Amino acid sequence: MRLDHDFTVPVPADEAWRVLLDVPRVAPCMPGATLTDSDGDRFAGTVKVKLGPITLSYRGTGHFVDRDESTRRVVIEAHGRESRGSGTAAATVTAVLEPVGDTTRVRVSTDLHVTGRPAQFGRGMIADVSGKLVDQFAACLAQELTGGGAEAVGARAPTQAAVGAPAQAGMDAQAPGAAAGSPPPGAGQPVSPAAPGAAAEVGVAPEPVATAPGPAPTQPTATTGRAAEPIDLLEVTGLRALLREHAPTVALLTAVAVVAWVLGRRSARR
Amino acid sequence: MTVTEERPAGEVGSARRRKEDARLITGRTMWTENLSLPGMLHLAILRSPMAHARITRLDVGPALQAPGVVTAFTGRDVADVQGSLVCAWPVTEDIVQPAHPPLAVDEVRHVGEAVAVVIARDRASALDALMNIDVEYDELPPVLDMEAALADDAPLVHADQGTNRAFHWVYDSAQAGAGDDFEQVARDADVVVRRRYVQQRLIPSFMEPRSVLVDPTSDQITVWSTTQIPHILRVILALVTGVPEHKIRVIAPDVGGGFGGKLQVTPEELIAFLAAQRVGKPVKYTETRSDTMIAAHHGRDQIQDIDVAARRDGTVLALRARLLANMGAYLGLVGAGVPILGAYMYNGIYKFRAYRFECTGVFTTTAFTDAYRGAGRPEATFAVERIMDELAAELGMDPIELRRRNWIRHEEFPYTTAAGLTYDSGNYEAATAKAMQLFGYDDLRREQQARRESGDPVQLGIGVSTYTEMCGLAPSRLWGSLRYTAGGWETATVRMLPTGRVEVVTGTSPHGQSHETAWSQIVADQLGVPFEDVEVLHGDTRSSPRGLDTYGSRSLAVGGTALVQACQKVIDKARPIAAHLLEADPGDLEFSGGAFRVRGTPEGEAGKTLAECALAVFAAHNLPPGVEPVIDADATYDPANFSFPHGTHLCAVDVDTETGRVAIRRYVAVDDVGRVVNPLIVEGQVHGGVAQGVAQALFEEAVYDADGNLVTGSFADYTLPSSADLPDFITDRTETPALEHPLGTKGVGEAGTIASTPAVVNAVVDALRPYGVTDVRMPCTPERVWQAVSTASRKGGQP
Amino acid sequence: MIPEAFDYVRPSTVDDAVRALAAAGDEAKVIAGGQSLVPVLRLRLAAPTVLVDIGRIADLRGVREDGDDLVIGATTTHDEVLHDPLVARYAPLIAEATATVADRQVRHLGTFGGSLAHADPAGDLPAVAVALDARLEIAGPNGMRTVPAADFFLDYLTTALGVDEVLAAVRVPKLPGWGTHYEKFSRVAQAWALVGVAAAIERADGTITGARVALTNMGPTPVRARAVEQALVGAPATAEAIAEAASRAGDGTQPGSDLSASADYRAHLATVLTGRAVSAASGL
Repeated sequence: MRLDHDFTVPVPADEAWRVLLDVPRVAPCMPGATLTDSDGDRFAGTVKVKLGPITLSYRGTGHFVDRDESTRRVVIEAHGRESRGSGTAAATVTAVLEPVGDTTRVRVSTDLHVTGRPAQFGRGMIADVSGKLVDQFAACLAQELTGGGAEAVGARAPTQAAVGAPAQAGMDAQAPGAAAGSPPPGAGQPVSPAAPGAAAEVGVAPEPVATAPGPAPTQPTATTGRAAEPIDLLEVTGLRALLREHAPTVALLTAVAVVAWVLGRRSARR
Repeated sequence: MTVTEERPAGEVGSARRRKEDARLITGRTMWTENLSLPGMLHLAILRSPMAHARITRLDVGPALQAPGVVTAFTGRDVADVQGSLVCAWPVTEDIVQPAHPPLAVDEVRHVGEAVAVVIARDRASALDALMNIDVEYDELPPVLDMEAALADDAPLVHADQGTNRAFHWVYDSAQAGAGDDFEQVARDADVVVRRRYVQQRLIPSFMEPRSVLVDPTSDQITVWSTTQIPHILRVILALVTGVPEHKIRVIAPDVGGGFGGKLQVTPEELIAFLAAQRVGKPVKYTETRSDTMIAAHHGRDQIQDIDVAARRDGTVLALRARLLANMGAYLGLVGAGVPILGAYMYNGIYKFRAYRFECTGVFTTTAFTDAYRGAGRPEATFAVERIMDELAAELGMDPIELRRRNWIRHEEFPYTTAAGLTYDSGNYEAATAKAMQLFGYDDLRREQQARRESGDPVQLGIGVSTYTEMCGLAPSRLWGSLRYTAGGWETATVRMLPTGRVEVVTGTSPHGQSHETAWSQIVADQLGVPFEDVEVLHGDTRSSPRGLDTYGSRSLAVGGTALVQACQKVIDKARPIAAHLLEADPGDLEFSGGAFRVRGTPEGEAGKTLAECALAVFAAHNLPPGVEPVIDADATYDPANFSFPHGTHLCAVDVDTETGRVAIRRYVAVDDVGRVVNPLIVEGQVHGGVAQGVAQALFEEAVYDADGNLVTGSFADYTLPSSADLPDFITDRTETPALEHPLGTKGVGEAGTIASTPAVVNAVVDALRPYGVTDVRMPCTPERVWQAVSTASRKGGQP
Repeated sequence: MIPEAFDYVRPSTVDDAVRALAAAGDEAKVIAGGQSLVPVLRLRLAAPTVLVDIGRIADLRGVREDGDDLVIGATTTHDEVLHDPLVARYAPLIAEATATVADRQVRHLGTFGGSLAHADPAGDLPAVAVALDARLEIAGPNGMRTVPAADFFLDYLTTALGVDEVLAAVRVPKLPGWGTHYEKFSRVAQAWALVGVAAAIERADGTITGARVALTNMGPTPVRARAVEQALVGAPATAEAIAEAASRAGDGTQPGSDLSASADYRAHLATVLTGRAVSAASGL
């Protein structure tokens, strides 16, 4: 499955490039991701996606396959395994930065392979879910790269609309329909930080902050502050991408990538 | 000859309610999954989520720690003892037969392949513990597209074999001496129509998921399995496991459907056998529907390139079929033979001068394929019946008229076809005339014309299928010439109990076919005993030691004939005893109504009944000298030829050109299955068969994605129709007895499935032909139909 | 398969249910008829540690009138809805859509509220609730609150329900004199909708005076076809005017592509089916 994203951020390419390589900063953009280890080239972590009653959790690792400053191209491979069950997820993410005046055009293409139960029994769910995850990842990345204001609202993964990221995910390269063809609505437009409207939408969910769990005290090591605020993803997107926190016993995770991996092995919890 | 509505004098021909129904529909039977033995353990199987990968790490250690777990093992742990599953039909001398270990050892080749097992005290614990098995895979490239798989640089499913080509099999009428050379004849033809048809992959959706229980604790290892083939299973278990055959007992209890899907010796059966031997306790495995979908064998999956050559006047001359047949990752029990069974049917009921057939079997990283209701013959019938419609369109002829000009006329039987088979009997004219009349063919054609002219968004389509099939598998000699390793005979035993009741043992293995009822009807007539007094035993190698089981519409044609012959032997054995008791000459006795009487004695006069003879041999006090005190008899029948059911199916569909929805408006099936033992059972077989054929035409398709995931892994995505999606079927019969089968029966288990698929697709294409549509790929989903209409409309086609 | 192990709680009051949910945290899941949840559990795509069964809470079941509203208890089964005289009289659209839900067995166990709370984009009843401007009454630790249907469905399988909240009832405005129709398009009778259209139309003297149209499975949540409604209101109740309005059915939708239908096909179906649903609801 290939998913393509294309957006522009209002910062120079050099600056965007620095952010893109900062794993601890970028990893939490993956909804539900917890970075557990990172040495610059390699990283490990977990990803848990909750969608209504459905929970997909993976744990795995990733590494930079390519980091070419001259072409400003980054290729990351990540691979993970379902914590319950033997399904796998693997992603190759290619991001290319292209200076456009003082702004930077970012093209992210994700080649995603999912096996096991989610692929077999999902009524096409996996495409929907993956598309959404990548949308949010790209939207958040746009936010990160935009920099300004990111700290203030950083915990919030902006909605697609707020970011202006196209987030149009075609099912595959041959029949993407929207993705390849017409320029996405936000393309070429500066990205604004999460619009207040996004937060306002949250109002429909009463007191969501109170009802969703905050980070558990047993938070594993390298989790960034951002990832520790999953609630905002829930608020803004409605996707209950909650972090797994019972993880000390668990191996951990991935991040930049697209699908991820967790642990949360049930036996460990009992 | 057509069926008369009179009540038959005997049991044969009467619409008896099934003996089996009471226990089946009230749940008073024991399915394999219901069986429970003291100390029984439960087995769960970890299956590969990858289409193709090397297993780089596999540790069942963590699973052993889980509650309730007794043991766990991997393919590597049993690599030296597990053996390999068997291909019983190596169709060519040089067929590639890769090893097929029940548990993958180092490499997995399809999603769903078994890689490790857990044995626990209860099923839930076994399933839970699977989650703890630590496994890592190193991905290898999936091989999914058959044509790409045959390219020189294609990744290989079995690297050690050096090719993805399993076999290449050819039939040529010129070489066989059954006709001319295709190329030569086609060169002189006025018109050649060429089409590619795709037989999508289907999943046999039997009602009862597969289950196996193995008890190793007594002298014989006993295997209960949801199988169609207990006898064949026993032989293969002995060959693969090395356990002597006489130390294995196989029982197929009541089995909830098969459709060919249980015509297999499965990895799961061997795994359970191995597991039970290892733990020394009874072990049961029952799959879930999800397992069925990914791991049981699939059916169809062929690409057919068909050429038909004809004269302008509609005379067909030559036919060529070139096939790619997807074997999946391994060769199933008879999977390689499935397209070969079809090879003899591509010419259908038509008189071709030349015929050539080529088939290449291809390995891919998908579940292995094998028999599914019809097995090769639905594919063949689809191809010829579809292309006859295309030829009719090309020539501007009515499709039925084209068929009429080319089919074998009833006075021309027996007729040897270009495929080399000799059809013994048939009457295509009668079946077609009856079907057209029931259907209201001319009226519907008129309505179709009117709707085309008015530009009705809902178009009417009419499809026909004048099929035949080869049934009654099979003459053993012929099986041998096709390199099938077993024979095609069937056996029956008739035991006269001292009290006059009759115990029948059959080597067939019913799993929905009503053998208990039909066999009782036959015996009642043959021996003159009440229907209720007959008990039919089957499916247990202890009570029924010989047999070749149930598939290929063979049971009644072959097994029923053996039964008749066994009954005749009983009568022959009883005759001297009756004569002795009546103090008459055996030659003066006639047998009717269950009793021997001296010829000429008025009906009603005392004679000696078979029951009296049975009691006489039981006591054995007063038997003629030299006569053995037994009148029980066995018979084994090996048919000289196949039987050839045929018929005409007509289908009318309403096609909503705005949405693409196809609704069957009228469906008529007139089948000639020879003599009918029980019309109710025949009716049921036709209904079920047509439903499954319609399902291939409109609904079902197993889909693998580009990574080799089976994305139709549940009934949410594998679209199985229900009665709500099917019309009322109008069924009738003609009856031309099978001349070479003493009972006159031909077989009906597959007829509906074989006939209906092309009838439905022909109807869909017929509805859309004014738009310029010449094909819609199966299943003809609303979207595909809509796409066909939209594409054709853009090209300028319109109703 | 067999679901993973879970604890099972069966409270007899709404308050107890809310307390049980609050105690269990985010690993709890409400179950009523179980017709959507149980398959997901059996496929082990979900593994809640606690199931809170609200199926025996008497207050949550049944249909009653309340002024201009019909109030349908969340655990009223589809079959009960289907045969309820108040529903037939005041909200026939709900009955029509309910009749298309799965099969008889499922309708006897599955519940009206469960269909909404599960928020399957291919489910039939969410679009009906959106079309009718239903209001969902939700019980939580701080008492009851009401959420309009339009704000209830947030995303794929995701609603405004908090983890410690229970959908208690659905309040549907009576629409006397309106014509209604639910047009469902599915591969087979028992399947989910590829696309569905819920329509309620009010007519006066050959003119459409009120229109409510919502779409099933044209995005991650049910979609109100506002453009269609705007084009209909004030238009003559004719085939031409309806077709013209229906051509806007795809406006603002984000249909997905899956095995059963591509996005383009869904968009096409939406216009055709909207035309049919509106025509039927208009009595044409």
